[in-house]
Amino acid sequence: MSTTAHTMALFNDFDGAAIALEELRSRKIPGFRMEDVTIKSPIEHPELSEMLGKRPVYVQVYTLVGAVLGALVGFTLIASAQANFLVQIRGGRPLVPIPPDMVITYELFILCGVLMTIVGCFIGWKLSGKRSPLYNVSISVDKIAIVVKADRNAISEINNIFSRNHSLEIIGE
Amino acid sequence: MIDRSEEKDIVVEHRFIPRDQDIDDEIAWAKINTDVLQSMERPRPLYWVIFFASLLLFSWGVYCEIYQYQNGLGVADLNNPQVWGLYIATFIFWIGMSHSGTLLSAILLIMHADWRKPIFRFAEAMTTFSLMTAGLFVLVHLGRVWQFYYVVAYPNERWVWPNFNSPLVWDATAIGTYLTSSVVFLYFGMIPDLAICRDAASGFRKKFYWLLSLGWQGTDRQWANFRVAYLTIACFLIPLAVSVHSIVATDFAVSQQPGWHVTSFPPYFVAGALYSGCAAIITLFIILRYVFRFEAYMTMPILDKTCRLTFAIAMVWTYLNLIEYASVWYGNDMYAKQALIYRATGSYAPFWWAMNILGSIVPFALAFKSLRANLKIMMVVSLLLNLGMWLERFMIVTPTFAHGYYPWTWTNDWWPSWVQWGIVIGSFGWFTMLFMLFCKLFPTVSMYEVKEMVFHRKSSRQAKK
Amino acid sequence: MSLSNLLNNWAALRETRPYEDQYKNSDYKWGMVVDLDACTGCNACTTACYAENNLPVVGKETFAKGQVMHWLRIERYWGDGEQLPEFPEQGAQFLPMMCQQCEAAPCEVVCPVGATHHTPDGLNSQVYNRCIGSRYCSANCPYKVRYFNWANYPEKAWPNPLEMQLNPDVTVRTKGVMEKCTFCVQRLTEAKNVARTQGRKVADGEVTTACAQACPASAISFGNLADPTSEVAKIWKQQQVKLAKDHQDKEEGARGYRIFEELRTYPSVLYLERVRDNEV
Repeated sequence: MSTTAHTMALFNDFDGAAIALEELRSRKIPGFRMEDVTIKSPIEHPELSEMLGKRPVYVQVYTLVGAVLGALVGFTLIASAQANFLVQIRGGRPLVPIPPDMVITYELFILCGVLMTIVGCFIGWKLSGKRSPLYNVSISVDKIAIVVKADRNAISEINNIFSRNHSLEIIGE
Repeated sequence: MIDRSEEKDIVVEHRFIPRDQDIDDEIAWAKINTDVLQSMERPRPLYWVIFFASLLLFSWGVYCEIYQYQNGLGVADLNNPQVWGLYIATFIFWIGMSHSGTLLSAILLIMHADWRKPIFRFAEAMTTFSLMTAGLFVLVHLGRVWQFYYVVAYPNERWVWPNFNSPLVWDATAIGTYLTSSVVFLYFGMIPDLAICRDAASGFRKKFYWLLSLGWQGTDRQWANFRVAYLTIACFLIPLAVSVHSIVATDFAVSQQPGWHVTSFPPYFVAGALYSGCAAIITLFIILRYVFRFEAYMTMPILDKTCRLTFAIAMVWTYLNLIEYASVWYGNDMYAKQALIYRATGSYAPFWWAMNILGSIVPFALAFKSLRANLKIMMVVSLLLNLGMWLERFMIVTPTFAHGYYPWTWTNDWWPSWVQWGIVIGSFGWFTMLFMLFCKLFPTVSMYEVKEMVFHRKSSRQAKK
Repeated sequence: MSLSNLLNNWAALRETRPYEDQYKNSDYKWGMVVDLDACTGCNACTTACYAENNLPVVGKETFAKGQVMHWLRIERYWGDGEQLPEFPEQGAQFLPMMCQQCEAAPCEVVCPVGATHHTPDGLNSQVYNRCIGSRYCSANCPYKVRYFNWANYPEKAWPNPLEMQLNPDVTVRTKGVMEKCTFCVQRLTEAKNVARTQGRKVADGEVTTACAQACPASAISFGNLADPTSEVAKIWKQQQVKLAKDHQDKEEGARGYRIFEELRTYPSVLYLERVRDNEV
């Protein structure tokens, strides 16, 4: 039997959830940390998420790396390909002309930036730790859920806080 | 006698919504889900009628292409010098139409114009399918279609690469990037909505949406990463969209043929693309609003704003169009001047005049509020604007071939054959089929974004009190 | 491998062409002179070209649609734009127009798959098996001398036993590829091979194109512009036309000109202006 358990409380709106979170934060219950709280909601609410503590988002680092690498690798590949051609003099232009190479480098810059952004986002989703199995379909409709992972003995006290703050439902593991 | 003292909560069905409010901010989120999910229910018979009509058009296009594939491009009545014809004109038309989604999604997102929220999903879908349709024309117009992959820079044992100097290779790169990014943007932005569909579906469809929604649960981490990624991709998509149609414009602008070697072609094409896309958004807006009963979401104020945006873009296009004529007329380049005079007075003059009237004068219907509120007139106007834009592409391609530098090659009265028309019509059938499939499989209104719109408007209204 | 190639040869890779005296140290630069005063419009050159290069005769209907396959065409212009009323056929001028083998060819730049290039001996090459038929080269050609195979002409053009007459040195093109005058490259290659086995260069007059060979009036001259003693090089020099210049400083009365020089295509074909009848 594991020592941690999960509990989820559903709220009608963000304000109700905010009050509950505030109380959770101020109570300092042993066996429970604010980092183990997750909010599940149908739309995002950055201010509410901030109450959980600072959790930085690294997506744009991937974007930058991807875009810059994409541009450099793209230009090098194309210029090298042009330099390697056997019969290739075309229209009097240089063998490695800058304007066409710039156009294609620009497009590859954007393509790699976009793809790396997606990769960064997926990594950000996966790295958020173990995903709690608790989910309720009403979250995708209009309810806001607070999911807490804590020691088993702390769970009942957390549930008390939830029910005091007008939660609609409390769902255990 | 009915005892009414127990009735506490009287739910008022029809409320007086202020006329200029983009959306009623009292709409319940659950109702948003229900309304939009209902649009994905089993389709009515009319849907099947239109779908099969589009399928028929597409099949006719396929037949024409097979005929052309087997007999060579001569059956399209192309010749020397008229080597490109309707295929390239329609290709540019479809690429142009694809810019609407990017405009609405990406540009208005960055400007935080939230009136885009109920309408950007179908606009983005339109972008993706327009690009897929344009891709068809790239294949169809080739002499040796089965070797189209030579344009792709793939490593081969002969170390032969495509010609990177060629605008067509830039086209291939740009359109490939744009298609990839658009599909990614469309799918990625749909993930929270697909989670809603997953939660509301059952059976096979539940599995389908479960796979596509990638385990979305709406956690704060997911939302934070999602938002940053979405905004970042939107920031990339805007310069991409501008560059894509500019590159398509360089197909003509880097050529020294009279009528094509115009510096303002890249912005002219981009303006035409935005114009075409916005007109198509108006058309689809009116259709979807009526068919799926989205009156609460695709409201008249939003249509009003879209029409005004279209008018502004129409004026930009008109300016670029007129400035091209002016600079040719007052310039010393006799070839370009002759090409312009030929466009206005030669065999294709009726289309040139039609293009100018449809492109510059008809959009003034969008300037009048009373006309903007009339759905039937807006439907007709938007279709006419798109017709004008197709004629513009035709007038760019064909007259320059008919009246180029070399007098001996001048031809009058060249017209495309039934094969070309068949394939053009088939492309419209293909686009309609794809779009109709999309409407039934995926939500055409972005549910989570509409919820956000309603939430933010309500909170700011309540905060003002 | 390719990156070091790129870095080592950067200067050479950035060179633009043509530049003055580009072919001074080359063995060959093929060029042509067409004397419009001698040309009678008899079309013998066109017919010879058909025979030499396996050009399909497309038939009357296809010709009327504009889908003809002549690599060398005789254009007929009525003198001063008007037909002379007394001698309606006399006012015509004839211009043989073929691929000008431009040094800065607009067609070479725009082919998406790189099916057309410039060879070291100054020809614009067309690689049939690379061509996918996008026809951008033809769209960009100011002379419109590129011809597209609009149908599978070999099926109908040479019914048995006419295919026996085909030139075995030249391929037969399928539908969907672009073709144009090659200055009879098959003859040039053979002549160069023969000369190389004998350890010498091709002499002036040793090889000529089919059109130059067939012309009864000797209106077409062909030769090696890199060889200053060749006939064509002498005519180019005499007419004061330089290959790499787009605007020539010539004295009045010089008959030699290149077509559309101001477009800076730097063609390799020199035309000698017709001397007007009434001027003589």
